[in-house]
Amino acid sequence: MADKHSHAGDDHDHKAAPMVEEITDYEVLEIAVRELAIEHGLFTTEDHRKFTEWAESIGPAAGSRLVAKAWTDPAFKARLLKDGTEACKEVGVDWAEPTGVGTPSDYTNFRILEDTPTLHHVIVCTLCSCYPRPLLGMSPEWYRSTNYRRRLVRWPREVLAEFGLILPPEVEIRIEDSNQKCRFMVLPVRPQGTEKWTEQQLAAIVTRDCMIGVALPRPGRTADVHPVHEARRPVHSASEHGKAAE
Amino acid sequence: MTSRPELHQQYDIIASLQPALHVPQNCNYENPDSLFRALMHPPHDVGGQHDVPVYYEEKEEEEWELNTYVTCEVLGWKGIWSAEERRRRADNDLGYTLYLGMPYYGRWIWSAARMLVDKKHISLTELLDKIAEVKSRHEKK
Amino acid sequence: MKKNETLRTPSTPSRFKVGDRVQVRDMPNMFYTRTQNYVRGVTGTIAACTYKDLIPEDEAFNYDGRLEQYYIIRFRQKDLWEEYPFDNDTLQTEFPDRWLDPLETGQNRKK
Repeated sequence: MADKHSHAGDDHDHKAAPMVEEITDYEVLEIAVRELAIEHGLFTTEDHRKFTEWAESIGPAAGSRLVAKAWTDPAFKARLLKDGTEACKEVGVDWAEPTGVGTPSDYTNFRILEDTPTLHHVIVCTLCSCYPRPLLGMSPEWYRSTNYRRRLVRWPREVLAEFGLILPPEVEIRIEDSNQKCRFMVLPVRPQGTEKWTEQQLAAIVTRDCMIGVALPRPGRTADVHPVHEARRPVHSASEHGKAAE
Repeated sequence: MTSRPELHQQYDIIASLQPALHVPQNCNYENPDSLFRALMHPPHDVGGQHDVPVYYEEKEEEEWELNTYVTCEVLGWKGIWSAEERRRRADNDLGYTLYLGMPYYGRWIWSAARMLVDKKHISLTELLDKIAEVKSRHEKK
Repeated sequence: MKKNETLRTPSTPSRFKVGDRVQVRDMPNMFYTRTQNYVRGVTGTIAACTYKDLIPEDEAFNYDGRLEQYYIIRFRQKDLWEEYPFDNDTLQTEFPDRWLDPLETGQNRKK
C-alpha cells in the first residue's frame, strides 16, 4: 500500500501525549481488579509478570518467518498445510506457551490459509476479535472495531479497496470468519521479482497486514502504514507491533 | 475551512445531526416477533450490518490495557473463568449501550470485575471500597 | 477449569465429512451463540473437520461435558447476500455438529 498518510515532518493533527496527571476510571478499575485478585489468591504477581513477559514478546516477526520459510522450503510448506500448530514450532512458536496448554484466548488449533493466483484469503472475527496472537502479536485496533467486523463479510472488495487492495473479479476472495477455536493466518502468494531472495529478505516484506489479508507483499513494501492514535500512558517496553521481521 | 482536520471534524459533527424518531417505551405489554428476535439478538453478532467507510487506525496500547489483557488471561490460566465466558460477558451480557459505548479493553476489565462478583470471589462492597481506595491513592495532594 | 457440574455425556457422533452439503440451523437465539445471523438457513459445503470441543453455548456458562465435532463450512457469497455482485467469492466459518442439518440430495437421500 502506498504511503498515503505520512507522519514525517508535516503539521498533521497528531495528538502528542498530554501531560498525564489524572488517573482514568478504567485505570482505577484495572488496578482494583488486579489487586483484589492477588489479595484473594486467585493469581500471584509472578503469574501476572510471567504472562506479561509473554505478551510483550509476541509480534508479527514470527509470522513473517513462517511465510518466508514456506516460500523457500516446499517440504516445510507441506508440513504447515498438514498441521499448522505443529509446524509453527519450526519457527520458534509453540502455541502451548506460556501456560503449557495454550493461552486461554488463542487455543492450539492453528490453520494456514494458502493463497493462489486465483484465491485470496482475508480474515475477520465478526463476533469479537479472535486473532493468532502467538504468530502476529496483538491485533490492530481496526481489526477489533465493529466497523471492520460488520463490513468485511458483506462488502469485502470495498473494504479491501480502502486498504489499497483491488483484485480482479476472477480472483476468488475467501473471507475467513474466525468464530470458534481455530486461529488463522494468510500465506500470501510469493511476489514476482523475489526469486533469488534470502528468507530474511522475504520476511521483511511480509507485514502483518499481508498475513491478515488486507495487503499483498511486494518488493520495497516493508511496513503497514496507518494513522496512529497515541496512548496517554503507553506501555513502556512494548514491542513495535505491525513491523515485519528485520 | 482552513485545514483538513477541521473539515473532517465538521463531517463527524454533521454526521451526528441525524433525525431521531424515538418510540417512547413504558413497560410494553407485547413485542412483535421481529422485535423480540432483535431484542434477544446477542450484540456481538455484527457481521453484515451496515456501516460507513472510516479511516482505520492503529492505537498505541495503554499500560492499563496490557495489564487488563494479562489479568483476564491469567484468570483464565488459573481456571477462574474461560475465554468463552469472558466473551459471553464482555461481548453480550453487558447490552448494546455498553457494548458499543465502552472501549475494547474497558469491556474486558468490566467483565472480569463482574465475573469475580458473580462467582463470589469478591463481594461488590469489596470491589467498590477498593475502587474508592485506589482513587484516593492517586488524588493530587 | 473447575466446573460445578459435569454432564459426562459421550461425545456425539460426527455426522459430516469434507464435501457434504449442509444447512445451518436457525435455532432460537437467547443469551449467547456463536452462530451468526447471516449464515442461518444458508446451505454450504463442509471444507474441513477441525477438532472436538465443548459447544460455545455450554462453555460460555461453564457447562461441562458434551463434546462435538467442529467443521469449517464454505459458503458462496451470493448465497449469503442476495445483492452480492461477484460470482466467485466465498466465505468460510466454523460450527459444531449440532448447528448443521444434512442436505438431502439425490446422493444422500435414503432409497
